[in-house]
Amino acid sequence: MSCFDQHSPKTNRSCLPGRTSQLAATCDQSTSLKRQLDAVERTCVPWRFALLRKSRPAGGTYLLLLFLFATITPANAQQTVLEREAARVETLRRISPSIVCVMDPKGQGGGSGVLISADGYAISNYHVTSGSGTFMKCGLSDGKLYDAVIVGIDPTGDIALIQLQGRTDFSFAIPGDSDQVQVGDEVMALGNPFLLASDFTPTVTYGIVSGVRRYQYPANTFLEYTDCIQIDASINPGNSGGPLFDIEGRWIGINGRASFEKRGRVNSGAAYAISVNQIQKFIEHLKCGLIVDHGIAEFTVATSDAGEVTVAQVSALSDAYRRGLRPGVQVLSFAGRLLTSANDFQNVLGIFPEGTRLPLTWRDQDGLHEGTIRLRPLHAFQKAPELPEERQQRPPQDPENPDGEEIKPDGTTEDVPASLKSLFVARDGFCNYYFNDIQRLRLLTALKERVASNGDPKSVWVIAFSPSEPGPPLSGELTIAPSAVGMNLNNRPFLQSTSDPQVDEESPQLPGLLIAMNQLRRLLSGDAAEFTEQQAAGRTFHLPLEKDVHVLLTREGVRTCRWYFDESSALPIGVDIEYAQGIDEARLLFADWTDRNGAVFPSRIGLISGAQEDLRWLNIGNLTVNKPSATETTKP
Amino acid sequence: MNTCVTHAFERVRWTSLILTLLFVSDKCSASQSDFRATAEVLKSQQQTIVKLFGAGGGSLDSYGTGTLVSGDGHVVTVWNHLISTGYLTAVTADGRKFTVDVVGTSTEYDLALLKLSSEPGDSFSYIDLSKARNPEPGTPVLAFSNMFHVATGNEPVSLVHGVIAAKIPLEATQGRWKFPLKSPVWLVDAITNNSGAAGGLLTDTEGTPIGLIGREIRHSASRTWVNYAVPLTTLKPVIETLLSGKKVDSRPKDADANAPMLSDQQLTARFGLTMLPNVVERTPAWIDTVAKDSIAAKCGLQRGDLIVLVNDAVITSVTDFQQQLAAFRSGEKVALTINREQQLLPVDLQIP
Repeated sequence: MSCFDQHSPKTNRSCLPGRTSQLAATCDQSTSLKRQLDAVERTCVPWRFALLRKSRPAGGTYLLLLFLFATITPANAQQTVLEREAARVETLRRISPSIVCVMDPKGQGGGSGVLISADGYAISNYHVTSGSGTFMKCGLSDGKLYDAVIVGIDPTGDIALIQLQGRTDFSFAIPGDSDQVQVGDEVMALGNPFLLASDFTPTVTYGIVSGVRRYQYPANTFLEYTDCIQIDASINPGNSGGPLFDIEGRWIGINGRASFEKRGRVNSGAAYAISVNQIQKFIEHLKCGLIVDHGIAEFTVATSDAGEVTVAQVSALSDAYRRGLRPGVQVLSFAGRLLTSANDFQNVLGIFPEGTRLPLTWRDQDGLHEGTIRLRPLHAFQKAPELPEERQQRPPQDPENPDGEEIKPDGTTEDVPASLKSLFVARDGFCNYYFNDIQRLRLLTALKERVASNGDPKSVWVIAFSPSEPGPPLSGELTIAPSAVGMNLNNRPFLQSTSDPQVDEESPQLPGLLIAMNQLRRLLSGDAAEFTEQQAAGRTFHLPLEKDVHVLLTREGVRTCRWYFDESSALPIGVDIEYAQGIDEARLLFADWTDRNGAVFPSRIGLISGAQEDLRWLNIGNLTVNKPSATETTKP
Repeated sequence: MNTCVTHAFERVRWTSLILTLLFVSDKCSASQSDFRATAEVLKSQQQTIVKLFGAGGGSLDSYGTGTLVSGDGHVVTVWNHLISTGYLTAVTADGRKFTVDVVGTSTEYDLALLKLSSEPGDSFSYIDLSKARNPEPGTPVLAFSNMFHVATGNEPVSLVHGVIAAKIPLEATQGRWKFPLKSPVWLVDAITNNSGAAGGLLTDTEGTPIGLIGREIRHSASRTWVNYAVPLTTLKPVIETLLSGKKVDSRPKDADANAPMLSDQQLTARFGLTMLPNVVERTPAWIDTVAKDSIAAKCGLQRGDLIVLVNDAVITSVTDFQQQLAAFRSGEKVALTINREQQLLPVDLQIP
């Protein structure tokens, strides 16, 4: 197995006229074949009549029916064929403007891509863009060349997001639902194999789906194709990163890999496309300029002889272990998909970004269980990783560098205009921090405006609360100050310093509430200095709220918070807080934010805790804001 | 260009549609022009394919494909290296795993009949050989195989589409070995000449079984890889004979004393190789000397190396080696496997 890309060396360019004439010859052949077939068709009808007359059936009605059949059906059939062809031609006309020819800054070659939004976002393969550097040139079917900048990368999934510049009305592809794709479906692959079209008119190849939910191991590299679509459409060097469409023109995948063997690196009838449903789970992460990682579940599975998927090993520090998963138990479903093999498990695991919380059901001697686990980082790349030599996309190295043009380590050259250069900010752990800044500030600016009335961030808040449902009687009062969070729960005191919070300082009844209030105070202060790091971290499907939310990730000391924002509010609807690895996260939901006594605070706080992940709601009562005490204000 | 081809392709399908309508009026449906509809029908067809696993190494794949032909677990496949390895297992479409016995083989038809070691009560989906038909060139076809070992366990094997391009006797070779079947086979425009595909099933778009996908082999004249399938109507009597427990031909596979071979002088002049003299019958292919700066020296061959494989053909003697080499043309690349100090090493040799 290998990946494709085409670096069109200068030799290839000089080859182009030759190729064109070859192409013309092939076209002539097809035309003549078409003519022959037309001739066959034309002769078909008389021949059929002759046959009918010869085999004259008994019964006049039957004969009449057959005649009607013979005269009407072929016309209809032909109509259908012509209609299908016309529809296909129309579909191709519609989708072709979204196809991108991705090249390095010198226009020396590369792969393909597809536009996904009017403002120029386009998807390609990581192994295509990794050789093109930070800035690239992109050709569209209008024959024009556009500047583009790298936005985000998913090295493991072999996906890259770039943004084409210069227009806000790009044509773009409409995604379909790749989970609906079936073996036998007709598909079309568009791209720029062999860089055939110097005017960037995409090449179309046609085929059928050979297999779905295929798993392709990372072959001598980190590129891993999970849950991918196998096709028999011709995929050749240069097709990499280009889109796969269904016959209706819905975008269903990105072509990036094929099985190669004795024929060399050309079509072998077995190519693989990354499913669009997987890509959709990464797009918002990519838009945040991240090096997006894939995840591990911290347990492994095996397929038993009986065809059951059972846990082989499980890390004692994992979510799965704390939920109750042990070696030998049968895993029934993961992320909502029923498992019939260990490959199924790998397939599901591979389509989600690191950090995603996923539901799991399993069976042990006590019966059925369900719970959620968070995926931990797989590679945790701090920089864009290098691909093995044969997967690299670089133009042939010319030791003499005849153009005398200096290429800097980041792939830029001196002639990148300043306006383009300003779209790239390098930072460790990010692909392009410029784009993270945009997304992060979008969330934080709205939040800051909303909490502007909260007044002096060094104020001390005293908040009364009571459980919203029947249960063990609970009543309490929280005191949230910059230096510590205190709680009086059923007349029992709890105290946690904000600089060195310990998990055993939490109350057993409401574990995680103190650390959550500590972190919430930091967030609501609107002061970025309260955290060592803040970044936009894409979009995820929130559990148990079951809705798409944007994620703001904050770090403070060793504590990582994921704050969740939905479209309707500038305020978070929940947070998950990691004390440290091996300790269950503090997971809170925030509902009904209101302004009371000059402080914006949720009216209800939900707390998810325990192996069963029980949700308990607290009603927030009286809230008073006390002026900062002398010690607080003089604290450095 | 693509549109032309697809259009032409549809015309062919359209023509066959008319023929179908003419003769079987109650089969009138649009399914001929829609692979999705046919795929529904063909899901059952995928149940008849098994994934085979054996020993491999070097350029030899350790996996292959077979097609079930009986409810008791009889499987047909191509009689290639995989079958000769002795230890075979099969995984059925539903993920069940079986050890496999070779029931019978036919050199003439390049066919092997296998039997899954099933328990009483095991049942298998299989193709109905009596339904096999003989379509004409131009017929759209589907090919099922576990090419490249893409599918594992209970995953369905790969499906590729194409058209029967011709029905002709095949002149093809694999090294010195010649394709034995004299009657016509189907050439298809789908790429079926892939690792592990041999023994897979060719059907029409309605799922009617029509052929057994052939081995990895090159055409004698063009030296290109041939995508072919042997008609099941041709194989049916042979399979039935083997199923009944009788033997078919028993011609040894490698007896070909008259095959052309490179002389000792040619071997020295062109390759710079001298082999150990052929003193007894089946003298092993030991290298005696390697001339300095010769082709043989450049590709890394050394005195004392034993030639074990030429591509995937086992070399039984020095004569065998000289015959094998004679089958290649100038410029072709050959993958040798040699035994040097108890280690198997690959050596790439380009025929001068």
